[in-house]
Amino acid sequence: MTEALLDEYEAGELSVLFEAEPPQELLSWALDRFHPRVSLSIGGAAEGMVILDMAWRIRPDVRVFTLDTGRLPQETHDLVERIRERYGIAVEVQVPDAPQVQRMVRRNGTNLMYSSVDLRLLCCQVRKVLPLNHYLKSVDAWITGIRREQWATRSNVRKLELDHDHGGIVKVNPLADWTKEEVWDYIRANEVPYNALYDKGFTSIGCAPCTRAIEPGEPDRAGRWWWETDAPKECGIHCAIYTGGFEHELHALLGDHSNGAGNGGCSRIAPTAMGRFSANTPRATGREAPPTETEVTDNGHEHRAGRKAGPGRGSEGSRRTAG
Amino acid sequence: MTEERRFGTGERRPLPEEPTWEQVLQRNTIERLKKEKAPVGIVHEIPELAGRHYLDISEEDIVRLQWYGLYHDKPKVGAFMMRIKVPSGYLPPQSLRAIGEVAERFGEGQVELSTRQNVQLHFIKLGQVPDILAHLREAGLSSAGACGDAVRNITGCALSGVLAEEAFDTTPLIEEAARFFYGNPDYMDLPRKHKITISACPYQCDMPEINCIALIGLVRGGRSGFAVRVGGGLSTVPRIARDLGVFVPVPEAVEVLRAILHAWKENRRYRLSRIKARLKFMVDDYGAEGIRAQVEARLGRTLEDGKAPEPRGYADHMGILEQKQPGLYHVGLPVPIGLVRGRQLIRIADLAWEFGGDIRLTKQQNMIVTGVPGELLPDVAERLEEIGFPVDANPLRASAIACTGEPHCNYSVTETKGKLKEILAHLENRWGDRLGNFRLNLDGCPHACALHWVGDIGLMGTTAREAVDGERMAFDLFLRGGVGPEQSIGRPLIRRVPFPRVETTLDRLIEAWLGGRNGLETFRDFCIRTSDQDLVAIAAGPAAAQAGGDPA
Repeated sequence: MTEALLDEYEAGELSVLFEAEPPQELLSWALDRFHPRVSLSIGGAAEGMVILDMAWRIRPDVRVFTLDTGRLPQETHDLVERIRERYGIAVEVQVPDAPQVQRMVRRNGTNLMYSSVDLRLLCCQVRKVLPLNHYLKSVDAWITGIRREQWATRSNVRKLELDHDHGGIVKVNPLADWTKEEVWDYIRANEVPYNALYDKGFTSIGCAPCTRAIEPGEPDRAGRWWWETDAPKECGIHCAIYTGGFEHELHALLGDHSNGAGNGGCSRIAPTAMGRFSANTPRATGREAPPTETEVTDNGHEHRAGRKAGPGRGSEGSRRTAG
Repeated sequence: MTEERRFGTGERRPLPEEPTWEQVLQRNTIERLKKEKAPVGIVHEIPELAGRHYLDISEEDIVRLQWYGLYHDKPKVGAFMMRIKVPSGYLPPQSLRAIGEVAERFGEGQVELSTRQNVQLHFIKLGQVPDILAHLREAGLSSAGACGDAVRNITGCALSGVLAEEAFDTTPLIEEAARFFYGNPDYMDLPRKHKITISACPYQCDMPEINCIALIGLVRGGRSGFAVRVGGGLSTVPRIARDLGVFVPVPEAVEVLRAILHAWKENRRYRLSRIKARLKFMVDDYGAEGIRAQVEARLGRTLEDGKAPEPRGYADHMGILEQKQPGLYHVGLPVPIGLVRGRQLIRIADLAWEFGGDIRLTKQQNMIVTGVPGELLPDVAERLEEIGFPVDANPLRASAIACTGEPHCNYSVTETKGKLKEILAHLENRWGDRLGNFRLNLDGCPHACALHWVGDIGLMGTTAREAVDGERMAFDLFLRGGVGPEQSIGRPLIRRVPFPRVETTLDRLIEAWLGGRNGLETFRDFCIRTSDQDLVAIAAGPAAAQAGGDPA
């Protein structure tokens, strides 16, 4: 299959060519080239619905997937049903690995995300990131709704790029240069179904426990992980999972323990996992030792496994010396 | 499925109409940010920001901090990378000492040498920045425009002013240009970053071919001046710089730099999208001759015709050679993986101060001590070895480079410097000094800080689709790229080599080259005359290599 993929050079040049083109041009190209090994990722947000509508007009059998974390709000499930009614598309639902969830919840409780930043990240990892990694192994390209204006770190997002966090498959971001107004204009003009949460004051669509409506005047960041005080200064509203940023951060915070040992066994978040940063970050001050009772089995999800395999490779990390 | 496409070949399309400012601001959030709250002003706000918790600093201000060389390290919990500009890599001992002291006091003692002769510190807290900036200012150093949409560090031959073979000394011009551009508000709102290099090194060790603007020094009819190349750069869309076809006498050089910058920065086509904002895309659109016409229109005069000279060969300026000043020598210090300790810098600075020498940073992340009197050479070499830098280290340690990557960089997909260290240990053990200054350029992501497009072998971080020995981290291997006399953009011909197989794959390619090369054929030439399929077969293993390993 890899022969069908683009290489870095082709991807770069194509991204320049498509920069001046409308989203439908890029979608046509992507569907033409990769279908049925291309799938559109929707998370319930307006952007994904715009792309779904555009793609459906090009190819009614376009593949669409969503990550059912098990904690999604009812409104998002309703939207998936409306997609079935309106477009005749059965959204592919990727669910987390049940034993992993069971283990995580047994150890840390079902509302672990409120206990600490680490546990919130762990929850994202088990319920969202690993299922995404698993799903993406089955395609050569995926389509996302990320937009440059969502966050400063997204200002350089290309409309077409290789996703090196996911096996170097192609990632297509047709709405990269669209504004929020354009998204909503399209939704209104084409009567595209959208998530009812938007009408309830939500600016961000995510899992129910981690997302809330914001009051007028409140910053967007207040809509996500509002209880956290020393979290990574990531995209507070638009989840960085779709840019790879989340995984990089997760790994930096949890070390090996973000992905299990890679041997299908269990690993723990041990105090040593935090050692790399505890001396350098305000996070460490006033913190309890990180929980030691967290386990993640990682069967079949070896993304980045072994990244810090072997003692000494990770631990020297930031303190390598020359000579 | 392979499509026949010819990219970047100079084919030009009709240009879209120039957008209005309104369109630019609607489409490009960074332009909007720059308009609403000029990043250059952040320097005055730092003392106030320094007192805040990082979560209470807006994302916009975090972005604006880039204009003074500050980037959030990974994870983004209030520790920053700070990039310090070192024009042409030239550091008198007191400046080097200041960097060492700042690193020891604020940066956990770690110093990174960059591929554009910058110095990078990590673990910096905002609260410390005012102190650090004051320290640096005293030492004649600056971080103004080190990141962000500004004129980045002006690079050059590390040996400008002392290289025996240089056409003339470019140091005064580099100093003048740095004084003019660094922190100048007129050049702190460019469409995107901008990279200038200036040198008169006949080897063109400063790699003019991959800079936005390169001034290449030569003497013509008794006059010192420059050929000019424009629109080079790597990142995700690589371009080799094109020849502007002019000769610019030294006194007019800054004026010409300004004219090129203005032609670019005032054209709103390069403000609409950051993807197409670099000067290289303007050169794609207008051609070198089109850029020249615009520059001449701005100058109000025509420029003398000229031609960019060919580089004389490849040089990384390692080793011990006599300077243009008789009796004085420059001594190259290979710095494996580009990392040094602050205290090492302090000791080197003190040593150089003793004999009145200087220190230079090279684009291969190495150092050079200059001004060493001949009679002191043995003593100095011994003391440098004590400090941790044997001057006779395997040349591979000097030529191989890796980007910042893991653990600090938010973009990196894979480990970089640590992995390069492993690879170097393996290659030294296996091949001794037979590889000479073979250039391994290892990057953790497509941004190409370590120039993977132009290495003898470029390695770029990615992930394999299926794990090998529990490892999904992998590299794409870029072949056929080169710099200097071999300047060309490589291609990722060998895809997704998982970490556990990287060393063996490199060994196979090297073995096929050393065993099958014609005379002293370079690795790049070997890769050019070997077919894609054969190279893939060689990399894949012994059985395949028998079929494809003897292309001669």
